Amino acid sequence: MKSLLYAVLSLLMLSQTVIADDKSAAEETLRSKLEAVISVLQKKELEIEAKKKAIIEIVTPIFDFSLMAKLTLGRKYWPGLAKEKKERFKELFIKRLKESYLEKLTRYNYTDEKIVYNAPVQVKKKIHIPTDLISKDNKISMLYKLYKSKHNWKIYDIEIEGVSLITTYRSQFNQVLSSGTIDDLLEKLEEPENKRLGKVTSQ
Amino acid sequence: MAKEQLNYLLLVVLVSAFFSAGCAHQNSQITTAEAEQIPSAPGIEDDSDDAFSDDELDLFDDEFEEDEVQVADPLAFWNRGMFHFNDKFYFWILKPVARGYRAVVPSPVRTGVKNFFTNLTTPIRLVSCILQWKWQAAGAESVRFLLNSTVGVLGFGNPAKKYPKLNPSEEDLGQTLGVYGIGNGFYIVWPFLGPSTLRDSVGLVGDYFLNPVFYVEPMEAAVGIKAYEVVNEKSFKIGDYESLKKAAINPYEALRDAYIQHRKSKVKK
Repeated sequence: MKSLLYAVLSLLMLSQTVIADDKSAAEETLRSKLEAVISVLQKKELEIEAKKKAIIEIVTPIFDFSLMAKLTLGRKYWPGLAKEKKERFKELFIKRLKESYLEKLTRYNYTDEKIVYNAPVQVKKKIHIPTDLISKDNKISMLYKLYKSKHNWKIYDIEIEGVSLITTYRSQFNQVLSSGTIDDLLEKLEEPENKRLGKVTSQ
Repeated sequence: MAKEQLNYLLLVVLVSAFFSAGCAHQNSQITTAEAEQIPSAPGIEDDSDDAFSDDELDLFDDEFEEDEVQVADPLAFWNRGMFHFNDKFYFWILKPVARGYRAVVPSPVRTGVKNFFTNLTTPIRLVSCILQWKWQAAGAESVRFLLNSTVGVLGFGNPAKKYPKLNPSEEDLGQTLGVYGIGNGFYIVWPFLGPSTLRDSVGLVGDYFLNPVFYVEPMEAAVGIKAYEVVNEKSFKIGDYESLKKAAINPYEALRDAYIQHRKSKVKK
C-alpha cells in the first residue's frame, strides 16, 4: 500500500515538473527566436530588405501562420470553404500578416530596447508568455500565446497592449462575411498597400 | 501488486518520460531546419492543415469567442464622420507638425517634456488608484511625484525610473468606472480626441478636472498647452496609426475594436 502511494505521488510530482518544463521550454523557444531577431535588427550594415528576409526565416518555425489564418475565420466560416478558397485566403492573409509584423519590427532600431520576460501563464493546454518591450521613452506590453504542436512550441496569437491580432482580424472578417461572400473578403485582401492607406471608410 | 513490479513500472514511466523529452527536443531541431526553407515554397505550410481536426480548432475557437468584444455603435454615422475627420487631421496637420517638431527638437528635450506632463497628471492616476483600492500603486505614485518634482526638477527628469516599483500605473477614471463594473455603454469618436465610449467619456471629464492644465487661465493657453502635449507625445509615435491602418481591411472597425480590447485589458489589470 505504501509503495502504491509512493508511486502515485511520484507520478503527480512528475506531471508537475512536466508543466514547469512546458513553461520553460515554451519560453526558451520564444526567447531564442526573439534574440535572434533582435540581433538581425541591430546589424547596421544589413539592408532593410535583407533584414526582413532573415527575420522571416528565423520566425517561420515558431509561427503557426496556417493556424492563425484559420482562427481569424473560426469554426463558423472556415470549415465550409472550398479547398481552393482556403488556399487563396491563407496565402493572402499570411502575406499581409508577415508584412505587418515586419513593418512593426523594423520601425525600431533596437539599440536601447530590451525585452523583459514575465512569468508564463498556463491557459488550458497553452502557454501565454507576457513580455515588455522597454525602450528609453516607452514600454509596450506584448503577450505571446503558444501551443504545443507535434514538434515544438508555436505562436498562434500575439497581443500588443491587450489588442489581439487574431481577435482584431476576426471581427473584421466576420463583418465582411456576415453580409458578403468569401470572394468579397479575398478581394479586400488583394487590395494593394498604397490604396489601403489612402482609404478611410469602407462599407 | 508486488513492490518490485510497482517500482519497475515507475522506472519505465520515468525512463520513457525522459526519452520522450529528449526526442521532442531533437524533433524541434529537425523542424527548424526544414521550416527554414518554407519561404521559398509556400505550399509546404499546409502540412499542418490535416493535423488539425475540427476538435482542435474548437479548442482554440472557444478562447477567441470568450475574448470577443462587442460594443454598441448606434452613433456609427457620426462616428464614421469623426473618424474621417481625425484621419485627415492626423495626416494633414498633426503628423507633419510632429515630424517637424521631432526634426528640430532633440530627443532628450522631448523626453523631458514627456516626463513633465506624465508628472503633472499624477493626480489622475493617484485618485484612480485610491478609488480602485490599489494602495500600493497609490503609494508608488505619491513617492514618484515627490521624487520627480524635486530631484527631477519639476518632473522634467525621471529619477524614479531607477526603481521599477515606482513605474506609473496607467490608471484613469474611465478604467476606474470599468473596475466598478460599469460597461462601455456605446462607442463614440470625438474630434481630435479620437475613440472613446460613453463610460470613458465620463471618465475623461473627470480626468480633466484632475489635470492641472485644465485650471490654466485663459482657456486659450490651456488648449495650447494640451495641443503641445499631444504634438510632443506624437513625436514618439509617428507610424503607429499608419501601421494599424495598413494592416486593416476596414480601418474604422479595426480602430474601434483595438480601442475596446485595449481598454478591456487595462480594466483587468
